[in-house]
Amino acid sequence: MSAKVAVLVFPGTNSETETVRICLDVGLDARAVRWSYAENLPSYDAYVLPGGFAYEDRIRAGAIPAHDPMMDAVIEGAQRGKLVLGICNGAQILLEAGLVPGTGPVRKPTAAFTRNAPVPRFVCTHVHVKLAVEPSRCAITAALEREALIPAWAAHGEGRLAASDEHLAEIAAGGHLAFVYAHADGTVDERAVPNGSALGCAGLTNKAGNVLAIMPHPERDAWDFNHPDLRSGTNVLSPSGGAMLFASFAEALKDV
Amino acid sequence: MANPSFPVIGVSDGDLRSAAERSGLTLRVDELRRIAERLGRDPSRVEVRAFDAQWSEHCSYKSSRHLLGHLPTGGPNVMQGPGEDAGILHVGEWNGERYGVVIAHESHNHPSQVVPFEGAATGVGGIVRDVLCMGAEVIAVADALRLGRMERADSHQRYVARSVVNGIAAYGNAIGVPNLAGDVCFDEGFDENCLVNVVALGLVRERDVIHSCAPPNAEGWEIVLVGKATDASGFGGAAFSSVRLDEGDEEANRGAVQVPDPFLKNVIMRASYRVFEYLRERKLAVGFKDLGAGGIMGCSAELCGSGGFGAVVDLDRVSAAIQGMRPEVLAVGETQERLCWVLPPEVTPAVLRIYNEEFSLPEIARGAGAVAIGTVTREKRYVLLHGGESVMDVPIELLVGAIRDELPVPVMPEPAPVDPQRRWIAGERAVGELFERILSHRDVCSREALYREYDGVVRGTTVLPRGYADGGAIAPIPGSPLGVALSVDGNPRYGRLDARRAAELAVVESVRNVAAVGARPLGLTDCLNFGDPRNPEHYAELVAAIGGLAVAARELGMAYVSGNVSLYNESKNGNAVPASPIVACVGALADVAKIVTLALKRSGSALYFIGEAQNAIGGSVLAEVLGVRGAPLPDIAYARVRGELESLARAIDAGLVLAAHDISDGGLATAIAEMAFAAATQLGRTVGVRLDDPRAWTGGAAGNLEALFGEAGGFVVEVADTDAFDRSCAGIPFVRVIGTTIAQPVIAVGAERFDLARLHEAWIRPLAEVYP
Repeated sequence: MSAKVAVLVFPGTNSETETVRICLDVGLDARAVRWSYAENLPSYDAYVLPGGFAYEDRIRAGAIPAHDPMMDAVIEGAQRGKLVLGICNGAQILLEAGLVPGTGPVRKPTAAFTRNAPVPRFVCTHVHVKLAVEPSRCAITAALEREALIPAWAAHGEGRLAASDEHLAEIAAGGHLAFVYAHADGTVDERAVPNGSALGCAGLTNKAGNVLAIMPHPERDAWDFNHPDLRSGTNVLSPSGGAMLFASFAEALKDV
Repeated sequence: MANPSFPVIGVSDGDLRSAAERSGLTLRVDELRRIAERLGRDPSRVEVRAFDAQWSEHCSYKSSRHLLGHLPTGGPNVMQGPGEDAGILHVGEWNGERYGVVIAHESHNHPSQVVPFEGAATGVGGIVRDVLCMGAEVIAVADALRLGRMERADSHQRYVARSVVNGIAAYGNAIGVPNLAGDVCFDEGFDENCLVNVVALGLVRERDVIHSCAPPNAEGWEIVLVGKATDASGFGGAAFSSVRLDEGDEEANRGAVQVPDPFLKNVIMRASYRVFEYLRERKLAVGFKDLGAGGIMGCSAELCGSGGFGAVVDLDRVSAAIQGMRPEVLAVGETQERLCWVLPPEVTPAVLRIYNEEFSLPEIARGAGAVAIGTVTREKRYVLLHGGESVMDVPIELLVGAIRDELPVPVMPEPAPVDPQRRWIAGERAVGELFERILSHRDVCSREALYREYDGVVRGTTVLPRGYADGGAIAPIPGSPLGVALSVDGNPRYGRLDARRAAELAVVESVRNVAAVGARPLGLTDCLNFGDPRNPEHYAELVAAIGGLAVAARELGMAYVSGNVSLYNESKNGNAVPASPIVACVGALADVAKIVTLALKRSGSALYFIGEAQNAIGGSVLAEVLGVRGAPLPDIAYARVRGELESLARAIDAGLVLAAHDISDGGLATAIAEMAFAAATQLGRTVGVRLDDPRAWTGGAAGNLEALFGEAGGFVVEVADTDAFDRSCAGIPFVRVIGTTIAQPVIAVGAERFDLARLHEAWIRPLAEVYP
């Protein structure tokens, strides 16, 4: 019996289909749950918040959906140890909900993914993210190798981690910095960061390590056909590349 | 009729003309008289607005329909030809189902010139609805942009260039449809009239296609309006598209532009997919159509009229954003994000529930939702009610039937034969700094800075995003290796010289681009962007271009399944855009595993040129950079073009091609440089090229600069197994080795060496400054 995973759909979400698809392909029992039919959310074992422009990014990306009633179930579940993965807009929502880095009270964010810098423009570009903590630090990454390098697409206008110096220091010291941007060969420097993100941050986890917020989209580089020049297998439909993060997510849910 | 009338009968021509002008009507005096004569009375104000929209060129194609009849529109790949909101091409079978790719292609030129962000955004919004209403899931968008000179940072042209891209990005990104293909040209001919052409693709199983017409048993069915609350935006939009831009009327023009709401559209699309599912379960044939030109009136009249019915629509049932809107604004205004269903009454409640409750449209945007507004009638009249009274009651075929306003077709001279051998550049010259000048030319330089603002990978189906190959490609059917490729092309430098050949070259280029990734070209769409057809020069260009489109498609076995005509692309002082026939080609791949990118893969491979160099460099970037005048466009020998396509397809199918790139703007040397750049930036590999002296591979057919930078077309192909490749191309005379790939980051041409990093910098910089 595989774990039941809810992929949340807010008004304006746009990445639910491929997110459900990669979850299914790594063996999870995933389905999209829409805002208007979300009463049974608490019955799910884990939650994925996919990309998009929930509530039109009004005020700030993620600010309004963090207060959607669906998030009550997600916050309660996260506090009880359920796994929560937020991608792109989903990551922004998790920060606005205060679940990651989770160093302050719920719905009182201590950090945000905000406007790209130096140019505040939407950018769609291929990136790699590198695991910057011990794999076991976060349950969702526990089955990855140390310093795992995951291909993904950055596609956002608000992906730059911003926080006060004090909170940035807390993020670094508390092992919250789960993923940093890297080059294809694994080296890390400023040129690999597409959005001016503080600490080169591409992903954050919470204290307990059961919530992961990642800005780039591993699910858009998750099958062999997504990277035709770098195919790993013989079946063009095989999950590969970014699918490794979802495989690790599924591994963590194996015994749920 | 309590509704005030628009006096026509007994009014002098002069007075009628000034009354029409005062009311902002584009109907001519003779057209107003024809309406009054057919009605046997003066039209009401609502009626006159309705005819103004329906009889505009935008809706009626009245001065181009007879010309478009020359285009081939049928063939084995055609599932749905022109005539509905979009065409459909048969792309392949999967799990026993025949799948179609829906394609629509339109212009949104006038709005984008006046308010570029909103104009371009609503262009995407409109084309997406055209595809959606065929019952399809929207799987990709593309755009062809023709922009003015953007060199000056404070110019209006640069403002337009940036805002158009912002608008396309803001809309396409939010609805979650990948931007897969497109092109952009910068030319002074677009300083006062930019062109924004948009293409959208959808996926549909053949048996699930929904038509934009009321089905044969639709008498008594309900007309259901879905989407945004109707407001006063976009009033007069269809007519606005069918006149010249006059700067003095900028304020009035702005009022005609619609307001985009991609957030609402995102939800409407998803709700509509759910309705499709519901209808499929019940195997119901219904009608579904996008509201575009002519608003509620235009859409409901065409839906019912094309099914052989009439309609009664009650404007009081329309959700209005503002109290007290005049009936003609409610009826004809072009508020965005609306669609219209024709449904059996027993199904309506379930459909309303999906939109209004399951997807809670009224909570997403004020006044949004789905509501039944009228009935399909047996009597073939179009009736509008407002305040309980009839404000419009006309024969429906008079409103939506074909009207003609045909100008005599000029006798076109046969194009002068091109002598491909005649030289326009004296002698042989060193390449020198010319390479960098061509790579940094505004029509050659990298487009990445522009398209990186577009989400090209949402939906997770993208195989080739922009920049990876000549065409974009996706694998749209979950669990299937079937692929769809797309390219959009046209060249204003060619259009300025020779509209007919420019049209032919646009077709050839789009087909080549799709073939270069290994796809089988399936079919075409066209968008014809021209000046005022009443100017004989522009009309002759339009006629010539349509002739060229027809010839090229027939020669290559292609058909047009959809298209659009945008005339009046000129300002008041008569400056028209260069003739701009823009063509999109859709291709199919049986297995995306066989796809080919343009990045060079390794050193030690052979580089082949499939094609023939010519001295005819007219319209090329080379000619412009060198200041060569008078040269003709290259000769198109279709037998050779077909041979090029066939030999490439065979080699790709046999797995013999490591990389392939079509030769276009900037010629063969530019194509090779782009292949080396892609190796570095996309694969992290250093691959350079040693190119043999052109004299060795042209056999004297062309000078060295013409061979390197001329735009006669063809392909550059990277091959590892030359013996197998030679066998695959045996007997084809225009396939030859021109060089090898090397491990050094240089391109060497004969004795000259060019540093790849320097070339790359020249290629990247120009647009990076415009789109930082």
